[in-house]
Amino acid sequence: MGIEKYNPAAILIYFLCVTLVAMFCRNPVLILISLGGAAALFLCRDGGGGVRTHAAFFGLFIIMALINPLFSHNGATVLFVVNNNPVTAEALIYGVFSSALIIAVLYWFRSFSLIMTSDRLLYVFGAASPKLALILSMALRYIPLFKKQATRTLRTQRALGLYTDNNIIDTARGSGRVLSVMVTWALENGIITADSMSARGYASGKRSSFSLYRFGKRDAAFVLSVLVLFAVPFATALTGLLEVRWYPIVQPPPASAAVLTAYVCYALLAFLPAVIETGEDIKWKYLRSKI
Amino acid sequence: MEILAVENLSFSYPLCNEKALDGVSFSVEKGDFVAVCGATGSGKSTLLRLLKKETAPAGELTGEVRYNGGCCSGGAGSIGFVMQRPEQQIVTDKVWHELAFGLENLNIPSGEIRRRVSEMACYFGIEEWFDKSVNELSGGQKQLLNLAGVMVMQPDVLLLDEPTAQLDPIAAQEFISTVSRLNRELSLTVIIVEHRLEDVLACANKLLVLENGGISDYADVRTVAQNLRSKPELLKGMPAAVRLYSRFDKTCVCPITVREGRDFIERGFKNSVRCVQGKPYVHSAAPALEFSDVFFRYSRGEPDVLRGLSFTVYEGEIFCILGGNGSGKSTALETAARLNKIYSGSVKVFGKKLGEYKNQSLYKGCLSMLPQDVQTVFLKNTVAEELADAGAVADSLPYDLSALYERHPYDLSGGQQQLVALAKVLASKPRLILLDEPTKGLDAHARGAIAEILKQIKASGMTVVIVTHDAEFAAECADRCAMFFRGEITSCDVPGGFFPSNSFYTTAASRITRGYYDGAITVDDVERLCRANLREEGERCL
Repeated sequence: MGIEKYNPAAILIYFLCVTLVAMFCRNPVLILISLGGAAALFLCRDGGGGVRTHAAFFGLFIIMALINPLFSHNGATVLFVVNNNPVTAEALIYGVFSSALIIAVLYWFRSFSLIMTSDRLLYVFGAASPKLALILSMALRYIPLFKKQATRTLRTQRALGLYTDNNIIDTARGSGRVLSVMVTWALENGIITADSMSARGYASGKRSSFSLYRFGKRDAAFVLSVLVLFAVPFATALTGLLEVRWYPIVQPPPASAAVLTAYVCYALLAFLPAVIETGEDIKWKYLRSKI
Repeated sequence: MEILAVENLSFSYPLCNEKALDGVSFSVEKGDFVAVCGATGSGKSTLLRLLKKETAPAGELTGEVRYNGGCCSGGAGSIGFVMQRPEQQIVTDKVWHELAFGLENLNIPSGEIRRRVSEMACYFGIEEWFDKSVNELSGGQKQLLNLAGVMVMQPDVLLLDEPTAQLDPIAAQEFISTVSRLNRELSLTVIIVEHRLEDVLACANKLLVLENGGISDYADVRTVAQNLRSKPELLKGMPAAVRLYSRFDKTCVCPITVREGRDFIERGFKNSVRCVQGKPYVHSAAPALEFSDVFFRYSRGEPDVLRGLSFTVYEGEIFCILGGNGSGKSTALETAARLNKIYSGSVKVFGKKLGEYKNQSLYKGCLSMLPQDVQTVFLKNTVAEELADAGAVADSLPYDLSALYERHPYDLSGGQQQLVALAKVLASKPRLILLDEPTKGLDAHARGAIAEILKQIKASGMTVVIVTHDAEFAAECADRCAMFFRGEITSCDVPGGFFPSNSFYTTAASRITRGYYDGAITVDDVERLCRANLREEGERCL
């Protein structure tokens, strides 16, 4: 249990803020902070099990970092020349950072999909449109049911000897027959569901929307701190203080109090979930050792 | 206090000349537990649906239904309704959402919903699966969820339309006892239509009998049961004690439960003749289906479903497999039909291994299987097309389906669906048929019909293997019964030896006579023994 103890809407706001800053600013320090925070969170969530994910991301990183200097020949420092085309240090640096940014965003998305399970997403949609939330919930109920029935029908037909899978044509014909009857089945069973809905007062008037999640003081505090930590670097970026000139030579923004504050705030934001998670782990260990 | 009154209610479906209900009048007191019985097509479900505005079918209606003295309304929440199929009544994907669904519809604020949902989840013991997805629940749990989803709306009246038809006996008992508890503790008024009356009548205080759209009897359960002697069709669905009572001219109060049935026998009959003469079991020498040391699991990480299963079914017998839910009975049947790949052991059909049947030869003139859900058998729009599709010849069937030819298979009653599905199974002229729960959801009449047909099929030389929960059915038609437990068969015997040694997987007749008579498993057996044990005139009798 880490960040998911907060209200799903708060979690959504967090992920929006943390990815937005890195994508918007394109500042090497912010990108590195973002990558670090994203990787740390994913490691915490996944417990170091996603070796293949990390390997895939690293491969992707190398490829994307190398593509830019092959195509972009801007920059003052020429490293070497290939087929009369100069490969420059600046283009390489730009490639490295922009692919780091993409990898960071990918890591954020992976953690996001691990944390925002279907009922959390549904809650967020429900806040926007209760009708849409109900439809989604019914679809999530119905699709597995439909799949199960289709499989069962296929097996039955096979055991009756009416479905052969000796060759592709037979298989297609057999599946076609099953699919067509599944439409009838869905309609027929939909009637029962509709009956059950109206028996429980559906469409009898205005509906309320219930959810297990509440928005408490803790959630408000979380959202507030996320917004503050987001606003500082974002505002600084808007003033242009964080801007980097990549070509012809890389010119990082001059270090000033404002810039440093922005970096620190973003670092706090990016590492917030990882800190919450490890903090809790340590607390548990401490409590256990006391027991 | 009268809570529901029906006055002179008549109803006919559109495009239908006959009235489904004709001049029905009755009233229900608060806290009553009314069981409704009647043959298929007697208008039970129609009556139940008309009692609630939201579920009333379209058609021509005269007369009135008064709820709490007013007219037929009181909001969707005040009358709860639970139907037969557990799966299709569930609307949403999560257990907690399903519980809240009805309250959301009534526009109740979140805080109130939270309170009522948590209270109801506690009462029904749902807490453990509260966060689960509904797809992970068993059939019994789904039906309990449907009940809880209705009960959160705090209804005064609960209408139940064959709620346990699709459940196994243990889940059905649990459901009925939950309903009975609601009736006792909350004085909830219950009106239930049910085929399986063995458990229901023990909880009910009133019994309503419908015949051809009219009420033929409505009073206290025992009084009505006592009057059923002249109605053999209705008696078939009654508890064993009632059926037994009806065979004798006793004037005592009609017994309903197993305990009362036992009292009835002990008081009325001696037990000097204790044993019923069973038929000796002879089987043909040729095995039809042989399992030897079969192991099977669905995927590598999962535990074995079949663990060294071994048994032999001989040609020309009816072999019944009984056992708990999830013990692997259905899996064993599917394995025999080559739908599962075993990883150890061998399965032989008529002496040949399953793998030696090339292409479709196993399914042509050799073996055929009827699954639990008969809807999976149907592919066409009419019964006639359905039979033609399977190549069934009407004349070769042991029963007549011509009256149903133009109907859609889904529109048929449960019993009719079973017969049509069986016709499709028989079309390939199999020598061995495998049936999975052929009596699920059927009324006593349809069950009797299936049993008769199976006996005919057997007489024509076919071998039948049945997986069932229905002990009464197995006792009536099986040559041998086997108990399935944790992926293997733990005991196997003729019904006369099998059922008397079981305490739960046995028939009500066997439970009634336990320790008093030996080997009596059907009501017919008990009747024969009782007749042999009549007390002399003047001896202690009620």
